[in-house]
Amino acid sequence: MAEPLLAIDGMSLEYSTPRGWLKALDDVSLAIQKGTALGLVGESGSGKSSVVMALLGLLDAGARLHARRIAFSGEDLLSRAAILRGRRIGVVFQDSAAVLNPALTIGQLVTEPLRVHLRLPPVEARARALNLLDEMGIARPVQMMDSYPHQLSGGMKQRVVIATALATDPDLLLLDEPTTALDVTVEAQILDLLDRLRERHGLSMLLVSHNLGIVDRLCDRVAVLYAGRVVENGATATVLDHPRHPYTKGLMAALPRPDVSQSVRLSPIPGGLPDLTVPETGCNFRPRCPFATSGCEQPQSLLGTGHQARCHRLDDVGDLPWSVADQAPLSPQAENETRPLLQANGLRRRFSTGGSFRRSFARADSGVLAVDDVSISIRNGEIVGLVGESGCGKTTLGRLLLRLVPADTGTLHFDGTEIPGTPAATFRRRAQIVLQNPDTALNPRQTVGTILRRPLQHFGLERDAAEIERLLGIVRLPPSYAARYPHQLSGGEKQRVGIARALATRPDFLVCDEAVSALDVSVQAAVLNLLLSLRDELGLSYLFISHDIGVIAHVADRVVVMYRGSVVEEGGVQQVLRPPYHPYTELLLSSVPIIGRHRGAVSVERSTQRPDTAIEGVGCKFAARCSRKAGSVCDTVAPPWQDVEPGHRVRCHIPANALRDIVPWQLGYALERVTGTIAE
Amino acid sequence: MAFALTASRRRLPGVLLLGVTVLAGIVILAVIGAWHTPFDPTAFAVRSRLMPPSLVHPFGTDEFGRDVLSRVLAGAHLSLMIGFGAMLISLVVGVPLGMFAAFHRGMVEEVIMRSVDLLISVPPILLGLLILAVTPPNLFKTILAVGLVYIPILVRLSRALGLALLQEDFVQAAFARGEGASSILWHEILPNAWPPIIVECGLRITFAILLGSALSFLGLGPQPPSSEWGLMIAESRTFLTQAPWVGLAPGVCLSVLLVSVNLVGEGLREYLDPHLSGRAHG
Amino acid sequence: MAGYLLHRLAGALGVVFAMSVLIFAVVHILPGNVAYAILGEFATADNVRALEAKLGLNDPLPLQYWHWLSGMLHGDLGASVVMQRPAAPLILEALGRSAILALLAFVLVATGGIALGVFAATHQGRLSDRIATLAQLVFIATPEFFWGILVVLLFGSWMQVLPATGYAPLDEAGFLAWASHLVLPVLVLACGLLAHVSRLTRSAMIEVLQSRYVLAARAKGFSASRVLWRHALPNALLPAITILAIDLGLLIGGVVVVETVFAYPGLGRLLVFAIEHHDLPLLQAGMMVVTTIYALANLAADVSYAVLNPRIRVGGASA
Repeated sequence: MAEPLLAIDGMSLEYSTPRGWLKALDDVSLAIQKGTALGLVGESGSGKSSVVMALLGLLDAGARLHARRIAFSGEDLLSRAAILRGRRIGVVFQDSAAVLNPALTIGQLVTEPLRVHLRLPPVEARARALNLLDEMGIARPVQMMDSYPHQLSGGMKQRVVIATALATDPDLLLLDEPTTALDVTVEAQILDLLDRLRERHGLSMLLVSHNLGIVDRLCDRVAVLYAGRVVENGATATVLDHPRHPYTKGLMAALPRPDVSQSVRLSPIPGGLPDLTVPETGCNFRPRCPFATSGCEQPQSLLGTGHQARCHRLDDVGDLPWSVADQAPLSPQAENETRPLLQANGLRRRFSTGGSFRRSFARADSGVLAVDDVSISIRNGEIVGLVGESGCGKTTLGRLLLRLVPADTGTLHFDGTEIPGTPAATFRRRAQIVLQNPDTALNPRQTVGTILRRPLQHFGLERDAAEIERLLGIVRLPPSYAARYPHQLSGGEKQRVGIARALATRPDFLVCDEAVSALDVSVQAAVLNLLLSLRDELGLSYLFISHDIGVIAHVADRVVVMYRGSVVEEGGVQQVLRPPYHPYTELLLSSVPIIGRHRGAVSVERSTQRPDTAIEGVGCKFAARCSRKAGSVCDTVAPPWQDVEPGHRVRCHIPANALRDIVPWQLGYALERVTGTIAE
Repeated sequence: MAFALTASRRRLPGVLLLGVTVLAGIVILAVIGAWHTPFDPTAFAVRSRLMPPSLVHPFGTDEFGRDVLSRVLAGAHLSLMIGFGAMLISLVVGVPLGMFAAFHRGMVEEVIMRSVDLLISVPPILLGLLILAVTPPNLFKTILAVGLVYIPILVRLSRALGLALLQEDFVQAAFARGEGASSILWHEILPNAWPPIIVECGLRITFAILLGSALSFLGLGPQPPSSEWGLMIAESRTFLTQAPWVGLAPGVCLSVLLVSVNLVGEGLREYLDPHLSGRAHG
Repeated sequence: MAGYLLHRLAGALGVVFAMSVLIFAVVHILPGNVAYAILGEFATADNVRALEAKLGLNDPLPLQYWHWLSGMLHGDLGASVVMQRPAAPLILEALGRSAILALLAFVLVATGGIALGVFAATHQGRLSDRIATLAQLVFIATPEFFWGILVVLLFGSWMQVLPATGYAPLDEAGFLAWASHLVLPVLVLACGLLAHVSRLTRSAMIEVLQSRYVLAARAKGFSASRVLWRHALPNALLPAITILAIDLGLLIGGVVVVETVFAYPGLGRLLVFAIEHHDLPLLQAGMMVVTTIYALANLAADVSYAVLNPRIRVGGASA
């Protein structure tokens, strides 16, 4: 094998903390061959981002970096990082909004590396920059050159970031969570772009991500990082299809996938990350490992050739499935229950823009129509999934159903009674919410006990220690947690307390607004299992809002798809996941990076156009982005509801039979088609 | 929001300890000085006029033969009262107004915030001059004038904090339970809003004392024979070259007070604002 | 941007108008008769009546206000009752002297404060930063009037190198005498604010240096100076402008105090004179002039903020 472009041999990294040296990376060895992409996968705290900073030579002054050798095409990277970065090593960070300098134009940002590193004269630099922007799939690059970052959408910003990273034609591109925080449709476009660039320029890539699907989509090889150590590496397909290290097995078993049947229970990885300030010579995963035996406390080395795993029991457990059965298998949903628990009709909500002064004089039809004539019904014990891109109104709809945001028009019935705009205490008690961010969901100045006691107090319910203990027990937390403050809890534990608080009033209906989105996969699985068990035990109904179709496919009985304030499709989860479906649902589903899908799949053409302004109330809202547009009728006539199957309806002009013929998304993955507009 | 919502118990910064120690000393001396001083701070002694510092009069005497040390001690509580009193006024008026504006968006908020904009568009000293120019000045009017300057700052801060906290998920959860505004304000908002408010007050109080003593220096504060330090410095100017100690003593004391208050402010910020201290690696 | 500027201009006009009402109201409505305030407690009833008639104090208040405001708008600032002279030339002359003082100090504060702040931020934690921090603390904690008497003692009385107090007109006394009378007031006026501005600029700069875009610029392999000057500084200037705008208000306060300390015949001294002698028409006029100038200065700060900030200059966020 030829000398790799990047060879990291035995890299260790320590940070100074008040509790001593924290070993962020422990003897990490990686290699990237020229023209290939390596994925570095790990959950938060694995140290994956530190690898990027170390390679760039941009570690904080308090960090201690040590390596036997880090070679970049024959040069010593440790001593030459400052010269190589930006010239032969490009980097794309996550969160493009913060990465682009707000004071400089796109033109200045893209030409700067050309002028500084390649010493191109202004005219040539400008021409090259225009080419670059064009290559990034940015329409009207000339106009883009004079724009400022704040004028661009998230996807466009990330394209510009990639353009600046590629300006000097580097050999290696470091990608640190490059699509995190982007919508799945935009993410798919960025991944397509990166894939194309890799082919065209023979780029080598190091992709750091927590998302296995993205790594599978883009990388030839993958290394799995756990608590600072590489536990497994090999060809992507091999590692992900046949993981051999227990941790990788656990990750795969915890991942909710839309292509895997709902009856398969997710298996969480018990426990949490080890304390990295405590030296550990043995396997540091062993406290969480179901296969751990004696010998695990010995230092472990990577075993195998080509496909390596750091586990001494590889021969015994390499082919065993991950098995942490912490809960009973799923019981099927009670089908006989037909009476809706919650029924909303024609909900509409418009948010006006501008200050309150301006608001009081604004015309009635200005502002953003966040929720536009939505009707929804949820039965007892049913889980309804709500999906859509950011800004589609799904969060607002959730709040409208709880009467937390007043509706402009529409009615709401709960358990047979109409709920007025200012609901009575009983409704508040019976309909609760679980919120997204575990870090902000709990009042940092109250103990867990106080947090759980507040709702009990408010509704005048029993609030003795036994009740608190019962609530903690429901979410599988020990009673001693009542005395803790939120900052003493892990993310998953915080979310459990959030759920316990919502359950304190013994509600019948919960809105889960991105309730697991901020959690790592292994923790997310445990919370999802908990929510499903609670449904079975307590007969709860959920409206489950998520941008993650894998999660929705796993938990929901029925799915509602929203686009720009309107429902475009609804039906049983299996009905929505296969044709016939709305072209927007098709776009969403075909955009999800799913492990193994792109291998040997048919590519589906997809439009990236996304209008800023559309005339409200006329035609189909999705028409401008639709790759299956039926004709001018889409622009002028609001699409009708079509019942394609019992309980499954689609709002589209295209006849149901034609929708039935769409290639199932499991077989086709989307390929971007750029249409001429600057806005996404 | 600049203030992380986790209140982890950390070591007290050395700056804060030093500042608190010095300030506590000044406060104790001021309290004692208000009741008892070595000499009567207002008693004339014609024979010992403008005497330089000595063992009997460590800070010397002034043009009426009054003991400067006694006068400095007797005046200490005035500077403290102007600074802390003004802060108290702006707290008591500003925080409720700001929180009210945050909870009641619309015309009420608009009226409050536009008045605040107006008040903040007037140079601080002009506000003071305006209030103190027409009617005879006294200590309480000075406190009021200085307090008025800092009300808009606290209204803006409280409103911003209120708005940010209202968006927090734990507050949304309280709304979802149907809790009333006062309960949410008391249990969820205020416990999280006070640290940044205290920090802001700690940083502003230096300027409140400065403004108060400047007004006093201009003759718009406590009137003679009071021994407010700004006033003492103003009175010392006529015989500055013959007896510099008369002005230097209160001046140095004022500076020490301001340094200690400033240290407390900075120390509080360091202690209560985790944003500033060591960032986590990841 | 045009909308933003119009909004700000309207705001400035609103402030001036509201202040005119406030100033008028305070002088006329607060307890204590204006004429008595002017004449003192030994005034006879006849004197008071005569003065009231002369000042138009028997008219209804709105009418009095209208006369006063329309006079202002026509450049008639009323007359000083103590000096028995029109207020406009008095104020104009004093304003010119104050303006020089304030302008010199402001230039010193703006350039020196930002430069020192940037220096301290880039040398964070080093000895030079610590010394600067200590010096800033001392300067912030020393009132201008105390600095004033200190330098008067030091330079004027003991070293006798600079004139301690007073003012020398440029056309009569010559440049050297004029300038030498300005050195001490300008320095005293500037030092406290300079400490304040540099301290806040330092925090603003540190925040910018910790931003993701500065990290990205470093990751692109640009030199430290390029990262500092091109990527960090333009973004640190925005908060610096806000800081300077706040300090304009403190500067005006400083001018009043410093002019009093150095017996410098400027507008601040005139205001204090008006207060001491109950010269209410002069006080009203002087305050209106200061308010207007402050509003204009804030407007200028808003304009430069808008010019430097693409979010306002270009506007239109699409995402």
